[in-house]
Amino acid sequence: MFHPRLALKAFSASLLLAAASLGAAMSGASAQDVIRFGAPLPITGPLAPEAVKQQQGYDLWAEQANKAGGINVGGKKYKVEIVYSDYQSNTPRSVQTTEQMITQDKVNFMFGPFGSGAAKAASTIAEKYKVPMLAATASSSQVYDQNYKYLFGTFTPNDTLTTPLTQLVKAKAADVKKVAILARNDLFPLAIAQEMEKSAKANGLEVVYFEKYAINTLDHSATLSQIKSLNPQWVFVTGYTNDLLLIRKQMVDQQMKAGVVTMIAGPAYQEFIESAGQSAENISSASWWHPAEQYNGKDIFGSTANFVKLFKDKYKLEPDYAHASAAVCGALFQMAIEKAGSLDRDKVRDELAKMDVVTFWGPVKFGANGQINSLEPPVFQIQAGKPVVLFPDAIKQGEFKLGVN
Amino acid sequence: MLAIQVLINALVLGCLYACIAIGFSLVWGVLNVINLIHGSFIVLGAYLAWGAYNSLGLSPWYALLIAAPAFFVFGYLLQRLLLNRVITAPVLVTLTLTFGLDLILNNAMIYYFKADYRKLILNPPTGSISIFDVVVPVDRLIATASALALTFLLYLLLRRSKVGRAIVAVRLDRDAAVLMGVNVKSIYAVAFGLGAALAGCAGVLMALIFPISPLTSSAYLGKAFVVCVLGGLGSVSGALAGGILLALVEGVGSVYLGPAHAVTLSFVLLIIFLVVRPQGLLGRKGFE
Repeated sequence: MFHPRLALKAFSASLLLAAASLGAAMSGASAQDVIRFGAPLPITGPLAPEAVKQQQGYDLWAEQANKAGGINVGGKKYKVEIVYSDYQSNTPRSVQTTEQMITQDKVNFMFGPFGSGAAKAASTIAEKYKVPMLAATASSSQVYDQNYKYLFGTFTPNDTLTTPLTQLVKAKAADVKKVAILARNDLFPLAIAQEMEKSAKANGLEVVYFEKYAINTLDHSATLSQIKSLNPQWVFVTGYTNDLLLIRKQMVDQQMKAGVVTMIAGPAYQEFIESAGQSAENISSASWWHPAEQYNGKDIFGSTANFVKLFKDKYKLEPDYAHASAAVCGALFQMAIEKAGSLDRDKVRDELAKMDVVTFWGPVKFGANGQINSLEPPVFQIQAGKPVVLFPDAIKQGEFKLGVN
Repeated sequence: MLAIQVLINALVLGCLYACIAIGFSLVWGVLNVINLIHGSFIVLGAYLAWGAYNSLGLSPWYALLIAAPAFFVFGYLLQRLLLNRVITAPVLVTLTLTFGLDLILNNAMIYYFKADYRKLILNPPTGSISIFDVVVPVDRLIATASALALTFLLYLLLRRSKVGRAIVAVRLDRDAAVLMGVNVKSIYAVAFGLGAALAGCAGVLMALIFPISPLTSSAYLGKAFVVCVLGGLGSVSGALAGGILLALVEGVGSVYLGPAHAVTLSFVLLIIFLVVRPQGLLGRKGFE
């Protein structure tokens, strides 16, 4: 006798079973030839825009690596898988997330969380479990002063940004005598401002104003009126895109003029240039990388130009140093793993430690503390709505222009 | 000269703060709802101005005309369909509901607009006026004038119109208003709608001055909160007084103590007011 309902049940049961076994077979296969990289990022919360940049960099690298068949480990190709996790712009949570990725998600290697503070906190966990961690956006030397064995970073110390800038201004603008420094009261912006104060004093400039503003400040008019009354020829401001857009707008509102206006880190980002419009003209800045650089690398991206092209094709926007640093971290892991010919964490760590190679990011060599010491960060200026590299001379695109209105 | 400049800056900024706070104050005063969506409403209004200018070429002054009715309807429906269901529950319930709604609206904005900062740049720029070395940016002046006008309109509405009298009556004594035949639920919805409309208009005006991003909503909400406590809840002129007091303290504080302490100072002021004068500068005892 034929029971339609029973038949249907049997059929659906067998379908379920087939699906389940297929799933098991697939996950079994993928577990074997995949290398998992953990990437804790502030996907939500105030740092969300930064997370997007890093994610785009990692994704581009993973796509390129997989397109080429994967990472070659002793003759066998492994696919790249990046495991993302949101730590909600909350540093203590980035530490938990890192531990969870290592112990539960069983990642092979780690990327660092965003910025210096979170990277320093999370590196403790990577060190504890002996997992190599590449930090894409940690510049402060305090991150590396613990002399950890498993932490590496692709940003040079902060003074490598401010020293060439000061020397350039000193050489090109002899009448700049007084500097006013305004810094966001936050780890990286404040550290940069302190380096600026040091290099200004070392170069015989007078620092007439040095103050911090609180995170989430909505109005800077009183501060700017005070700076204006001191008549500095150089105004140096640190902060993130929103702060710098607001401060720049209020400088125009207050009719503040200065020979040199430097802002870090906004002008390296395309969105700053677009949003500031005409008022971005002649603003100078420095960063760790610039798309105008011309390196011929041995990494998967090859030349800087090729990286910029691939990035533009995929995301329809110009990459900045945050995108590039994330991508180069992936490329460095790939080179270290291929050289080690193994997924053994200690072997890969040793390869990273003795790495000495040119990439699209520039020459890469890590110091004994794990921080890169081979880069020469470019100084640039916004001219006619475009960033123009002024230093180093090898990639110079234009001359320094004075006068910001 | 610096002192005068700082004073003028503070006066102008104070009016902007009042503009941010007034809708929040109305809702809190009348409905006893701490409306945590307020900041996101302002940001949404700013996006409306930005979008209207960049894609339709509409100047922000026309965007005000769109924002006011659109936000009124949005706020009215929100109150009618959602908030009225829990309005009689303890204040924590409405707080939680608006918190949840804020999460939804804010994350929806992050999803659609991205978290990038944008700026509405008027072409040609409005520039600044300078009188004897004292500089006042024109866009801030316009925003200040609009804020004063909106405040005055709200004042007229509350004083002269039937709906306005009903809103004030509900605020003074809900039960008596019910006995007098006032439809309280509908008045609540109108008041919330007005609050939303004021937030939307504030957003349009803020778009001229501040960078636009969903992430700024908490900063607006924080200012609105402080201004309301300083000025007194539900009072139109209180918002203005609170805004100017806050801006003065921040301005003078950042010149004499450094900008890092301006925010701290404003919250110290908040705590002092909560202890010494909980009804605010112009609020009356019993309404808080």
